Amino acid sequence: MNRSGPAIYFDGESTARRAVTVEIDPAAVLVRGAEGRLLARWPYGELEEVASHDGALRLGRSGSTKLERLEVRDPDLIRIIDALSHPVDRSGTRTRRSRRKVVLWSVAAMISLLLVGIYGVPLLASRLAPYVPLSVERRFGEVVDAQVRAMLDPGQQGRNFECGWAEGEKAGRAALERLVGRLAAAAALPVPLSVVVVRRKEANAIALPGGHVYVFEGLIDKARSADEVAGVIGHELGHVAHRDGTRSALQAAGLSFLFGLVLGDFVGGGAVVIAARTVLQLAYSREVEAAADLYAVDLMTKAGGDARALGAILERITGAIEPGAKILLNHPETRERVEAIGRAAGGKAGRPLLAPAEWAALQRICAGS
Amino acid sequence: MSVVEVAGAPPLAKGPSHVPVVDMDRGGGRFHGSERRFFGLLVRGALYLILTLGLYRFWLTTDVRRFLWGNTEVAGDSLEYTGTARELLIGFLMALALLLPINALIFLMTFAPGLLKLSGALGLLLLALLGQFAVFRARRYRLTRTVYRGVRFHQTGSAWVYAVRSVLWWCAIALTAGLAYPWAVANLERYKMRHTHYGNLTGRFDGSGARLFLRGFPLWLVVMVPFVAGLAAALAAVDWIALGAATATDGANARLRFEEAGPSVAAAIVLAGAGLGWGALAAVLLYPLFRAITLRWWLSGLRLGGVAATCHLRAGQVYAVYLRFIGYALLFGLGAGVLALVVLGVIGAASESIGESAAAEIGSALLVVGGYVVVMLGYSAIYQATVMIRFWRLSFETTEFAGLRALEGVRAAAAPSSPFGEGLLDVLNTGGGL
Repeated sequence: MNRSGPAIYFDGESTARRAVTVEIDPAAVLVRGAEGRLLARWPYGELEEVASHDGALRLGRSGSTKLERLEVRDPDLIRIIDALSHPVDRSGTRTRRSRRKVVLWSVAAMISLLLVGIYGVPLLASRLAPYVPLSVERRFGEVVDAQVRAMLDPGQQGRNFECGWAEGEKAGRAALERLVGRLAAAAALPVPLSVVVVRRKEANAIALPGGHVYVFEGLIDKARSADEVAGVIGHELGHVAHRDGTRSALQAAGLSFLFGLVLGDFVGGGAVVIAARTVLQLAYSREVEAAADLYAVDLMTKAGGDARALGAILERITGAIEPGAKILLNHPETRERVEAIGRAAGGKAGRPLLAPAEWAALQRICAGS
Repeated sequence: MSVVEVAGAPPLAKGPSHVPVVDMDRGGGRFHGSERRFFGLLVRGALYLILTLGLYRFWLTTDVRRFLWGNTEVAGDSLEYTGTARELLIGFLMALALLLPINALIFLMTFAPGLLKLSGALGLLLLALLGQFAVFRARRYRLTRTVYRGVRFHQTGSAWVYAVRSVLWWCAIALTAGLAYPWAVANLERYKMRHTHYGNLTGRFDGSGARLFLRGFPLWLVVMVPFVAGLAAALAAVDWIALGAATATDGANARLRFEEAGPSVAAAIVLAGAGLGWGALAAVLLYPLFRAITLRWWLSGLRLGGVAATCHLRAGQVYAVYLRFIGYALLFGLGAGVLALVVLGVIGAASESIGESAAAEIGSALLVVGGYVVVMLGYSAIYQATVMIRFWRLSFETTEFAGLRALEGVRAAAAPSSPFGEGLLDVLNTGGGL
């Protein structure tokens, strides 16, 4: 067997390239210069295979502060050194094994991250939300309010975005204030409420942190009684009472921290982060919505109104939405919700919260002058 | 194409074709990495990326660099990448330690309404500076991990100085609609190369901004002039007084008046659309030419001690690279589309029998996300295996180096640097977070 052969040697101090002879010694690789002078003696255990191309074995010396390099291109010699030296790993078996370990541990880390994302973050957020001072929540609410308003306002020329300020709308605003007053008295929330109707065609309502509730014009149009509107407002007051806005802000921040920073970006994973967040938020929001429904039923019963009205308007509104788009809706299956509301409300119908004349005025709150 | 082969040094008795050719003062670079193997490496990497939700990227990046560096040969010797995935991971953790508090601070600032606008502008500036800081420091990491003939490259200079210069130059580029670009690149490249060293050799950049401007200005004219002309014509076509009257009046007849001002508005939209369409089409068609011009100019300006590079890249070569990518990308898109249809069909059939439930909804959403990830990773792998590697190959194989003897007596003179910049770049590129 060939026990010596040609190689190229760089001493790590200068770029001078030396054509050398490599000798295979029982304990070490011997590097000899042109005149047979010993340039280096590298024990097999200290050899380090460094990156090169397929045809060459490039060796360094582990632990050395210099970048000494020995390049062997003779296939026989490469085979012998590979067999004698433990750190040299031409077949890549050890590299593959350590890679597998990296992948396995990363998968484990990701699973635990997902579990924290699904269970830990919401738990933490709901535990922390009560400790956020009300003054901070209100200030946060003002910021969000400004942003949401800018987002919702279609900017119709010459019309106030909020309903109830034109001459012909004032009676409607008075009716709304009476309705909200009855609910607020029953709810006794620690934050001042501001409930307004705004000019948007969707049948919807939203609650922001700090007690801002927006009822859309489209919802008033779809409602058949004041109690139905009251039921929806009650649902939104449930979000305010449970501090859901603050909680979801904390959750969103927690999830951003968790996924946004750890999940990196080889191709643009930003969209994936947002999608993952949406799906996770969706899973939380089902429970949150159900809790707000129960709060609304309770509130309507306390205020003496028709607790089942919320179920009735929900059925009417969501019936109109095509089934395919359901994944993006923040509300659990309507049928389940309506049934749960019905069960909680019991059989009693209650008395309407507003007189017929007041309800008629409320319906014209966005009518204009 | 390779100058080494053309010059034909006497073949040595033993060994493959890339046996070192020492006695040469001029020569080209060579790249002998197999694209098939590179693609295999990328596909396996993509699989692991999915399994580890991206954490594998440090190992994949390192593998890619080891492959590219190791297969690149200049004057008979190949480059060596000595960086490790563990270093990249540590750099990432360092960047995380810095950015987590900043991220938290920005989040908390949103609670104070007055500070919101200020924090937005400040945050943007800070991000831009940090990004350029990271670019410079990441370059330093890469250079100190690049070894050639047992001697490493390194970089001096201040990353903050570079960041400030770079942000100012990019402002100038934005304000001049791109016309300042050649001078900006030349200036930044001069700063980078002046602080680039190989052992005791120091780099230099001799490319001139004015030259690049003369080369690129015709392209700028072809893209921008019709676009601006279309926009100007559109502005001139509108009867502003009628339109103003229409929008100023409120009430029900505003729409009617708007329609009266209509013909001129329609003409304006057509003109602006034509200008915009032309601009976009020209930009797409001329982009490879632009890449060829800038790459050739940049490579031809590089100097390292007595070594000077001259690049002979032709625009046709760059067009071929992009056409090849488009071909493979279309094939992949077709395959992915067919697969998506089949999967959707199966799901449709299954959901009819199972019915709808919350779990099914979340499952289908996850499937959509998964499909998106697979498609994006697929395109990324195709891009890297067609465009990126070909640009790497062309950069070395179309470039002729003169004064290569200067590389023979270089003395080593540096230690490896921290991977912090790489980590910062990695964190800043993330979609979420900041």
